[in-house]
Amino acid sequence: MIEKILSVDNVHKSFGGVKAVDSCSFSIDDGKITALIGPNGAGKTTIFNIITGIISPDNGKISFMNHDITRLSVSRIALSGMSRTFQQARLFRYLTIRENLLLAKRANDEEMKSLLASFHCYKTLDTVVSELSYGQQRIIELARALLFPHKLLMLDEPTAGLNQRARHELKLVLRRLRKEKKTVLLIEHDMDFVMDMSDEIIVMAEGRVLRKGRPAKIRNDPKVLEVYLGK
Amino acid sequence: MSVFLQLLINGLIAGSIYSLVAAGFSLTYSVNKFMNFAHGAMIAFSGYMMFNFFSKYRQGFVLAFLLAILCTAALGLAADFLVYRQLRKRKASTTIQLIASLALLTMINSCILLFFSSDVRSIKIANPVYIVMDARITMVQAVIILTAILMMAVLWLVAFKTKIGKAMRAISDNKEVAQTVGINPEKIYLSCALISSVLAGIGGVLIGIEQNLYPQMGVMLIVKGFAATVMGGLGLIQGTIFGSYLLGMVENFGIWYLPSGYKDAISFVLLFLFLLFRPYGIFGKKRREDVA
Amino acid sequence: MNYDYLIHIGILTAIYMINAFSFNLSLGYTGLINLGQMALFGFGAYASALLTRLLGMNVWVAMFIAGLMTMVLGMVLALPALRLKKDYLALVMLGLSFILYALSKNWISLTRGSLGLPGTVKLFKSNLNFLIAAILIAIITYVVLKKIVNSKLGLVFQAIRDDELSAAVLGKDIFISKAIALGISAFFAGVAGSLLAHYLTFIDPSIFDLSQLVILLSMLIVGGLASLEGTALGVLAIVLITEPLRFIGFSPVLLGPMREIIYAALLLIILIYRPRGLLGKVDID
Repeated sequence: MIEKILSVDNVHKSFGGVKAVDSCSFSIDDGKITALIGPNGAGKTTIFNIITGIISPDNGKISFMNHDITRLSVSRIALSGMSRTFQQARLFRYLTIRENLLLAKRANDEEMKSLLASFHCYKTLDTVVSELSYGQQRIIELARALLFPHKLLMLDEPTAGLNQRARHELKLVLRRLRKEKKTVLLIEHDMDFVMDMSDEIIVMAEGRVLRKGRPAKIRNDPKVLEVYLGK
Repeated sequence: MSVFLQLLINGLIAGSIYSLVAAGFSLTYSVNKFMNFAHGAMIAFSGYMMFNFFSKYRQGFVLAFLLAILCTAALGLAADFLVYRQLRKRKASTTIQLIASLALLTMINSCILLFFSSDVRSIKIANPVYIVMDARITMVQAVIILTAILMMAVLWLVAFKTKIGKAMRAISDNKEVAQTVGINPEKIYLSCALISSVLAGIGGVLIGIEQNLYPQMGVMLIVKGFAATVMGGLGLIQGTIFGSYLLGMVENFGIWYLPSGYKDAISFVLLFLFLLFRPYGIFGKKRREDVA
Repeated sequence: MNYDYLIHIGILTAIYMINAFSFNLSLGYTGLINLGQMALFGFGAYASALLTRLLGMNVWVAMFIAGLMTMVLGMVLALPALRLKKDYLALVMLGLSFILYALSKNWISLTRGSLGLPGTVKLFKSNLNFLIAAILIAIITYVVLKKIVNSKLGLVFQAIRDDELSAAVLGKDIFISKAIALGISAFFAGVAGSLLAHYLTFIDPSIFDLSQLVILLSMLIVGGLASLEGTALGVLAIVLITEPLRFIGFSPVLLGPMREIIYAALLLIILIYRPRGLLGKVDID
């Protein structure tokens, strides 16, 4: 019995006169990796922010594990089992790597080091994160999101800023998560990554869902190509 | 009836004084994007300069007035050049600029105290009283009301009809975009500092004549001016005018009921309540960034 | 060597340190621009003075209760204020100073207005004993605050300072954490204020003066944010720089404003040229 761990139901959001999200509806299957793709301005990050509680929608409903989370606060939603990263890495810049990770989970040094090592990051845990390169910061943010107890992991453009090696490691991590029956929803522009990793793809354009389906189907869909290549 | 009229007139006078203060303050907030509490000290400084040139050195009234404005403008430019510009260069946040303005405020106050002592000073000029239907208004007070109205009108004209006014509004709306059309932000910031110093200069002389001078007067004035702009809506011309006169009226009608010592307390409480519950003022709109 | 003078300076320094430590907690560690710290300090002073004067309370008990009252005031204000943007919190807290100033000046039946309130001298008739007590309390404050900032709670405070959104996304309750930070700061501010009241045996509305806030800000920023050790240094530095003025032969009338000019100038110089101060770990945002 496939459970819909997350449902977005007819969500609208306007900023000023601009409709960022328009009658957006979709649902995510438990234990799968779903990619959310679409041209810039399609509303992907906005819907992410609505789901995680940062923005409240004008209309519509968000359900997470059968609970209505539409009006809940960011921290309540997070505690119910949602972890996320941001388009631009957000870290606690005056704190060390260890402190950043501790805020996600009371892990010990060993666990932290091995998680970082799996991304080929060997910086000492006492390093203040503002001293790290952007790519390393993205890895730390990813590690932090992974450590935070979650049932749903939401990644906003996780491959941006990562080199080939780190990208490869990310794939391994995601596959491992899938094996552990964790659910992943990610926004991505790297099509190779998306086609390789996703079980399901949702295409958004102009604030609404255009298509949803398996990678093979989406890859050849004329509507999708049109939206990407421009009218 | 005559009491009501007198309170109304007093409210108009107070409101005009507050708009003289608030004009420069909200200009700096709109364009330079920070709250310049030192503006109050500049007003006090101007008043003292007028006292210095007119009462102490017995220069002609007009000459003394101009000298006072000149000195205040010089002070304002110096402050911008030595302090705020340095902070801007280093990308300091608006909070840091606010704290810096508090430091400047106390510094200027203390300098005034050093040079003029804490004795209350007054600028004595011939000041006939007019009677309007049982209510009193002095010439100076009438001039203040006229000046306030004139000042707002001129500001409006400058903002919407002159090149520099348009440039200021552009910078105020979106600095980055303004730069792409060739507007030099530093030039605008400097112009804004100059204009608000001149406004402080004008206001300071008039207020100094109307009220007595004491070194700390700038603090009270800027708090009132600040309250007026918050109530009306920070950074909006119509908001500043409305807030100033609203404050003036509430204060004066308020002390009909309360002991006069509480006059200042009325403004503080109003300011506080607005900050807590409607920080964007009466004319402002609730923006996402206002709420955490 | 005039020991009485040194003891006097020592007591004031210790009191300033207690206040500055707690100010650092809300500003340096939690990122709350609590410009009302002096308002809370003054409130504590008045509260303690009134408790002993009107209710005849024991001084130690009064100090503690005054601290609690100040804490409550801080947290009550937190309710609406913490939901506002950072800048507005700063202004609300600043506004508190103005209100308390007006209240202390006008509620004459309670506070005797500008005439001020004579408090009670502390248990210790001897200033030397007072100094020892003040230093002890300062040390206790340091130890307690150090424990807090090094704890999980302290980590949450710093996370909120660095990136509130990320902290929320990691499940931290932003509002409650900020309220706690403000409450703790307020408590120690109140205690420090009480100490002053019971040392000077006199409190008047001038405690709410803006210049007092500027002094406190200088000490904190010179010392550096997010460093309690820095704060201690900052307080000492400011005291050591300005006290010698007394001996250069300025008349007492000039001394006051001269010192204020120096505090303000120092603050400006540090803000421009070395915003992190001596031992600071973070910048003001």
